[in-house]
Amino acid sequence: MKKIILASLMSLSLSASFAHAQSPWTGGDDLPTNPLACDGTAGTVAAKPYDGGEATNAPDRKGKTIKVVDVPKLVGIGYFNATSKGIADAAAEMKTMDAKTDGPTKANIDDQITLIDNYITSGVDGILFAANDPVAIAPVLKKALAAGINVVGYDANSTPDARQWFVNQAEFNGIAKSVIDNLAAEIGEDGAFAIVTSTFTTPNQARWIAEMGAYQAKCHPKMKWLETVEAQEDNILSFNQANTLINKYGDELKGIVGMTSVATPASADAVTQAGKCGKVAVVGLATPNAMKPYVESGCVKSVVLWNPVDLGYAAAYVLRATADGDLKPGATSVKAGKLGELKVINGSEVLLGSPFVFNKENIGQFDF
Amino acid sequence: MAFADHPTARRSERSLLHRLYSAYGQEAVILVAMVALFVIVGLINPRFLSPENLNTIFSGNAYIAVAAIGMAMIIITGHIDVSVGALIGVLATISGTLAVAGYPVWVAWLVPILVGMAVNALVGAMVAYARIPSIVVTLGMLSILRGGLISVTGGAWISGLPKEFLIAQAKPLGVPAPIYFMVILTLAAAFWMRYSAFGRSLYAIGGNPEAARASGIPIERRTVMVFVIHGAFAGLATLLFATQLQIIQSTVPPNLELTVITAAVIGGVSILGGTGTVIGSTLAAILFAAIGSALIFTNVSAYWLRAVIGVLILVTVLADMIRRRRQGRA
Repeated sequence: MKKIILASLMSLSLSASFAHAQSPWTGGDDLPTNPLACDGTAGTVAAKPYDGGEATNAPDRKGKTIKVVDVPKLVGIGYFNATSKGIADAAAEMKTMDAKTDGPTKANIDDQITLIDNYITSGVDGILFAANDPVAIAPVLKKALAAGINVVGYDANSTPDARQWFVNQAEFNGIAKSVIDNLAAEIGEDGAFAIVTSTFTTPNQARWIAEMGAYQAKCHPKMKWLETVEAQEDNILSFNQANTLINKYGDELKGIVGMTSVATPASADAVTQAGKCGKVAVVGLATPNAMKPYVESGCVKSVVLWNPVDLGYAAAYVLRATADGDLKPGATSVKAGKLGELKVINGSEVLLGSPFVFNKENIGQFDF
Repeated sequence: MAFADHPTARRSERSLLHRLYSAYGQEAVILVAMVALFVIVGLINPRFLSPENLNTIFSGNAYIAVAAIGMAMIIITGHIDVSVGALIGVLATISGTLAVAGYPVWVAWLVPILVGMAVNALVGAMVAYARIPSIVVTLGMLSILRGGLISVTGGAWISGLPKEFLIAQAKPLGVPAPIYFMVILTLAAAFWMRYSAFGRSLYAIGGNPEAARASGIPIERRTVMVFVIHGAFAGLATLLFATQLQIIQSTVPPNLELTVITAAVIGGVSILGGTGTVIGSTLAAILFAAIGSALIFTNVSAYWLRAVIGVLILVTVLADMIRRRRQGRA
């Protein structure tokens, strides 16, 4: 038994000493990064040929009132209530779109396919969708295209050839720029910060972190990135990790970045309970509902995400432009009402624009 | 076999240390490991031992420690519960919903404990009287609770909790409330397990059910009761889990049930039933938090946490088997 005690002691001390020599992990991935310009100018877009589908023998719909159905992942939740409000707003503004939202009550791909199939049979001019499964939804969308229906996706893509366009809510480098710029504004150009993420292998988070590192090195070189810690999708662990960061770095730590809707509020709670509001800034990616208590108390000033109302609004305008024949393969931009000119990226995607920053003034208007 | 060459004769002259060791062996191992960890990491970075960080470490896994008390009892009795994570999620949602709806906070605290007891009374009855293995019953319960939670909440989070509801944020005398809960409940349960007839009968049931039955222990009733008590601890763990932050998620930490079971097993509870203490499971839960914090203080990837816990599980189970083999030969 002594040997067992010895063995466990040795493994503990070994891991502790190795450890000290290692540099902290960043939590980013190794893919190439494409940081945006430090000012507001648009980033470079690698040219890519159109890879979307075509609506076969679509009738001339230019200027005519079109019947559109919006099929989100599910209905009855705040996020998709917001996208369908955006679509309704756009339709009301255009006066030539008759749009309605009809989606499954659970995020179920089979229900979604059945619904779309029914609308193809009953006859619509356009379909907007947010796919529950990019591959499984493809056949029914191709059926719609074959029937001459215009198909545009938003929020969650299908395989590209199963729809004409997809409205992309945010690119990784855009989110990264917004997070780092807001952080710099709060902690100063020479502030030190740490990141709380889910796991180092979660694809989206790893991509955001890699882009954040690249953008910070390029545009805010004096900021000090202390380390990245993992907290799974575990709220109490996120809280503990944020506390440990505060304990470890003391006054040196000026900001914590949360990478998920779990990590960001838990970090904000750690800062609140440690009495460090105003001393340690929390910036992060999270849904507004998760962040309301902290934003309203003033402990958190900026939460980065996109605006789902704008996303629905843009999707409706992209569908209108497609039906009118104004948005054709090879186009580089499209007009989207009050949002102005939106860029075409990745062959057949339309980029919504800069991410949206939720703050004390606007967060009350959102419920998702 | 490293231990096979111990002369049998020496066993008769066991010292007090040996006897203490055979009763609290695993607890001692964890305690020594924990002290070593505090010394080593404290030398590398003295901030590790700051009062704030000690508070973080000792309160960080308090809810896991409280849930592991009930889990240790279940495993000692020869059963297992893989649904406790989902149960804590459901109870947290019930608690938060009541608190937001304006019920007095004591109702919001008490109801989840009662619901936890009721749910587990059902589980215990199916295990004891219908004789369905506990792993099957609790796997079923896991699906029911997890599915039900998502259906009912629709994934929405609860916010706007009243300040007085957030009991885990209280700090009487500068010490976080979860630490009081953990220490008091662990000690109470440990005394009860060691000195009450009921508590001792659990070891008998887990160690040898037929012998326990022959000696007149009402196995079925005791089994239901131990599940009910486990449900109460799940409810108490929920109190700490649900009131630590200002929002309640509709999901629970992934693999929470496994973390709770792991705490019990590393704490020295034999997965085969019959041995172990709740002091061990609580020490193990604290050790997890200490290792997690130490990894950050020494700049090691968090992946080591899993590796270290994995090694601990293997070492513990190995030690348990060796101990059993020696007892079998004695």
